Amino acid sequence: MIAIAAVALVTFGAIGLGGWGVRFARTTSDLYVASRAISPWWNAAAVSGEYLSAASFLGIAGLEMKLGVPALWQSIGFTAGYLALLLFVAAPLRRFGSYTIPDFAEGRLGSRRLRMLAVGAVVGIAGFYLIPQLKGAGIALQEVTGAPYWVGIALVGAIVVLNVALGGMRGITYVQAFQFWVKTFAIAVPAIVLLIHLGGLPDRATLFGDGLPRAPAGGVTITLDHYQRVTFPRAVSYEDGAIRGRAAAGESLVLAPGVVRLAAGAVIPVAAGTRVQTGNSWSRPVGSGGEASPVFIYSLLIATFLGTMGLPHILVRFYTNPDGTAARTTTVRVLGLLGVFYLFPAVYGALGRVMAPGLYLTGQTDTVVLRLPERAWPGVGGQVLGALVAAGAFAAFMSTSSGLLVSVAGTVSFDLWGRGRGRPSTAVRRRRFRISAVAGIIVPALIALGARSVDISILVGWAFALAASTFCPMFVLGIWWPRLTSRGAAAGMLAGGLLASSAIVIGLVVGASHLGGALDALLTQPAIVSVPVAFAAMIGVSLMSERPAGVAAHMLALHAPEGLGLGARVGAGEDGRGATLSAEPVTPT
Amino acid sequence: MSPRGQRRRTPRDELADETAYGDLYLRRLRRAQLGLSLLALVAFGGLVGSLPLLLALAPGLRHVDILHIPIAVWLVTVPVYPLFVAIAAAYRRRANALDESFRDLVRDE
Repeated sequence: MIAIAAVALVTFGAIGLGGWGVRFARTTSDLYVASRAISPWWNAAAVSGEYLSAASFLGIAGLEMKLGVPALWQSIGFTAGYLALLLFVAAPLRRFGSYTIPDFAEGRLGSRRLRMLAVGAVVGIAGFYLIPQLKGAGIALQEVTGAPYWVGIALVGAIVVLNVALGGMRGITYVQAFQFWVKTFAIAVPAIVLLIHLGGLPDRATLFGDGLPRAPAGGVTITLDHYQRVTFPRAVSYEDGAIRGRAAAGESLVLAPGVVRLAAGAVIPVAAGTRVQTGNSWSRPVGSGGEASPVFIYSLLIATFLGTMGLPHILVRFYTNPDGTAARTTTVRVLGLLGVFYLFPAVYGALGRVMAPGLYLTGQTDTVVLRLPERAWPGVGGQVLGALVAAGAFAAFMSTSSGLLVSVAGTVSFDLWGRGRGRPSTAVRRRRFRISAVAGIIVPALIALGARSVDISILVGWAFALAASTFCPMFVLGIWWPRLTSRGAAAGMLAGGLLASSAIVIGLVVGASHLGGALDALLTQPAIVSVPVAFAAMIGVSLMSERPAGVAAHMLALHAPEGLGLGARVGAGEDGRGATLSAEPVTPT
Repeated sequence: MSPRGQRRRTPRDELADETAYGDLYLRRLRRAQLGLSLLALVAFGGLVGSLPLLLALAPGLRHVDILHIPIAVWLVTVPVYPLFVAIAAAYRRRANALDESFRDLVRDE
């Protein structure tokens, strides 16, 4: 009950703030980029709020519990992405002054076809990212309230589309900033309170020594709603409904639906697909195989480091800074805010291993953040903390989905719809934006509905790999290398995008985990190969094609600091501040 | 080196008219900014990028505890985040200073 109230509170808070923001959405510029007048602290909180998705709020802790400490490289990569954004993209991109990523592609390289290629990549990346958010919402609401799976998807979808279609970017900015603080509060407070309640990390042998997860005092009671194949690492007595059995060490058997009981201290059997690990192996940050191998870790770090700048919902938010200097300030603050948030998911994974080991049996480690508070602190205290994390999870689904939807709706209505017939009026554009927003949520929601029992966690990694292999080289070379041509950019985006996607598809079809070693890592996260290939193709094809003309004006727009009356409007020539410059002689030295 | 016999021109004129001189000014700024970004990238790569390799090559780090938690676990959870902010803040200060000196060049002469 407390959980339902907390979720409702966050939801209505978001609707209320969105409604408040509607009053500001008067012009097209308000709708798309909040009239570019959001201050750095608001913007930094909004960027962080938008960024912290289901993968960050629930996924990292769940993966840590399942795989071990190597999962924490994800949080490092997710944060490091903003460093790359700061160093190579933030200020010039803001100064160039485009509305969307495809707008930049055409503005910088002057090719309509390149713009369409970028539109395709935006829709693909945003779609891959949106589906897991909606699925997460369905599962989380089911966990918390027992409602059917579709209710969470419908609820989050409806709220998000309402907020986006009515408020556009400006309303959304305040909602996102609010959601960041909800999420940080909701992950930090329970983690700290539980650590104090338990008196620090319990059971060091299970976490860092040679222990296996064991049933805590009072035993483990789990209600299975389906047949579940499990492996017993040690000989253990168990109850499965009316059956009392004793499994031998290493025995694998299928448990029937019903209530499964294990006595206190019993080593927990694990679901098929989960590896049995002692604390020693679990806590090793870099291991030898699969997602703990150095190849996978470096590929993941490259995908997240370079992919963040290519996420459409993040970039569009950088256009809302007043100028390039403010864009830098915003990014530094985002790094600080994310650093605070990412201290906490690790706590849930570790406490879950000791306090909620029943999740190893059902294989549902990705719900550990939602389940842990009540397991670690039975009673009202745990219920209140559980309500808090449930509210935070909902904030995560809503904010990331809103941001993705703004970018999809912006791209579709601005780039695809009715171009080349003059400038449509504000009313027409606004209607197109709203229709695009509705369409942009219905398609992913239907896919999420169908993906109830399919493991789609790979989609977020795919989105990062795609972004790193397409938009990252286009931005970095487009901003810093005048010689880049539209043919080169198209070739690089196609090469990188197709290579990354085909690797992941092959991995899915063949079943990468059976291959083992470096090949397994590369098929799951191909960025370490596809990003260099994309850069090489862009540079190679650009050098083979004709030297582009008129680049000087673009470089001026990208790199000239503001306040000089130069930059984007240089072609127009007239600028008030220009006249006040003195006419002293100058010698370039 | 300013063109003789013509009206005396400011750096701003050169930039606004996209002359070879203007191009030179801007290229110098762009290269300085890129150099700074690459320097920050190297700092990041050295401090954070080397971490997986360090942890893979020095497994002994797992047996040294601070507050009952192995140092290897600490390294991937807490200290990297302040380090990100430190690199970012230093970069921002230097990048803004480069912009400012460019403004001085264009404005004051």
